Amino acid sequence: MITRIRSVAVAALLLLGVGAALSPGSAYAAGGDGEMTLEGIVNNTIIGHATDGNYYNLKPFGTVELPRLMLARTAEGRLTLDVYGSTKSLLKSGPYGLVTHGEGKHKALTTGEERLKEAFATKKHLHSSVARTSGHVVMDFSITKHFVLSFIALLIVTGVFVTLAQRYEKGIGRTKAPRGILQNMMEVMVVFIRDEIAKPNIQGDKWKKFLPYLLTAFFFILVANILGLIPFFGAATSNIAVTGVMAVMTFAIGLLYGSKDHYLELLTGPPDAPVFVRIILVPIEIIGLVMRHLALAIRLFANMLGGSLIIFSLLGLIFIMNVVFGATAAWASTVISIGFTVFILLVKLLVAFIQAYVFTALSALFIGMSVEEHHHDGHESETASKGDLESRLDAVEEVVEPTSA
Amino acid sequence: MEAAALAYLAAGLGAGIAAIGAGIGIGWLASSSMEGAARQPDAAGDIRGLMIVSAALIEGVALFALIICLLLVVLV
Repeated sequence: MITRIRSVAVAALLLLGVGAALSPGSAYAAGGDGEMTLEGIVNNTIIGHATDGNYYNLKPFGTVELPRLMLARTAEGRLTLDVYGSTKSLLKSGPYGLVTHGEGKHKALTTGEERLKEAFATKKHLHSSVARTSGHVVMDFSITKHFVLSFIALLIVTGVFVTLAQRYEKGIGRTKAPRGILQNMMEVMVVFIRDEIAKPNIQGDKWKKFLPYLLTAFFFILVANILGLIPFFGAATSNIAVTGVMAVMTFAIGLLYGSKDHYLELLTGPPDAPVFVRIILVPIEIIGLVMRHLALAIRLFANMLGGSLIIFSLLGLIFIMNVVFGATAAWASTVISIGFTVFILLVKLLVAFIQAYVFTALSALFIGMSVEEHHHDGHESETASKGDLESRLDAVEEVVEPTSA
Repeated sequence: MEAAALAYLAAGLGAGIAAIGAGIGIGWLASSSMEGAARQPDAAGDIRGLMIVSAALIEGVALFALIICLLLVVLV
């Protein structure tokens, strides 16, 4: 059994290493796009792979351009929805041009067959923004890489948990023991979140109401993070918009289900403080509430973006060495780069779990803080704590002397 | 010096200083939680959970700084 586990671990390590070598951005980073300059490597390859875009990079099999949906206002002031299959077709057949330089009203647009063809050849249209030739874009609903990736994560989570829920409905896991690797693994994690995250942080029986959200957040983040470690995929959580929406959901739950006590303390300050202290404390409390949730979004985003940037920088080092010092230095740095990359990938696997845990734990903490109700009647709470103490003493006695009960 | 050069310099220095701060913070956190776990091995599980959450909070502050450094590099 142990040898089997070890061989699986070795295979996984090898796969991780091969994955690093095969992942887009390493071996093919400098292929064909005229990116063999320092700026090209840093801007287009390293940052281009870590950030969002309107294309899905499947090098060496090519690049898939994703559909563009633009809600635009025409020059006459009418709202239209422009839908095109790709950025290329948007530029070719729509009233759009490529922004080459400048901002605001003074930007220069690239239009016309010849100049666009030139831009397509250098893949410039994938890395720069587009603008309407007449009128302006109100809202860009274009499908992006991270949208596709978060959708894949969503499908995986839904698929796994709908099948497991059907099993529990049949009674496997409730009346009989859970069967199979998947069900056992997921049950461990679900029970962990229920007992270690939801119950201790949320007062009383209220955790039941928020457990579904916490589980959804945990598994979505976990799957999205782990997708970031697979070649040809990326982490949807390395996008501030995705993590921002999740933090906004936690914030909204905290506001919607917030108890009267929480709002009272938030808007009028601590109950037994003098008035001038309250005047100082109320803005601090409100800013603190917003900042907590902002930090929740930025923590997850920065961790995931940082991880992928480190990996691409380590791999990009090979190509930077090639440009700066020549081929021999590049070959020499390959060994070091790949070794470090495997190490960082393993760290990222740990970070994927830790960040999912941290997001869920902090969400539970924030929700728990806002739904918490204080006992107003001092006397009542005193007797309650006394009763609590007595029951605890009973429990201790029972442990010490089981026969006495 | 050029504005861009100054921005890159600031980003590099800022990232380094943020790393120092986060390192000191997490170092203290780890040392005291290990001490706590050694004194009271029964509470090691609780201490570990609390340590991860507080490490994440400290790290969050450092990551704020890191994001600002990244913005300096990318936007200039």
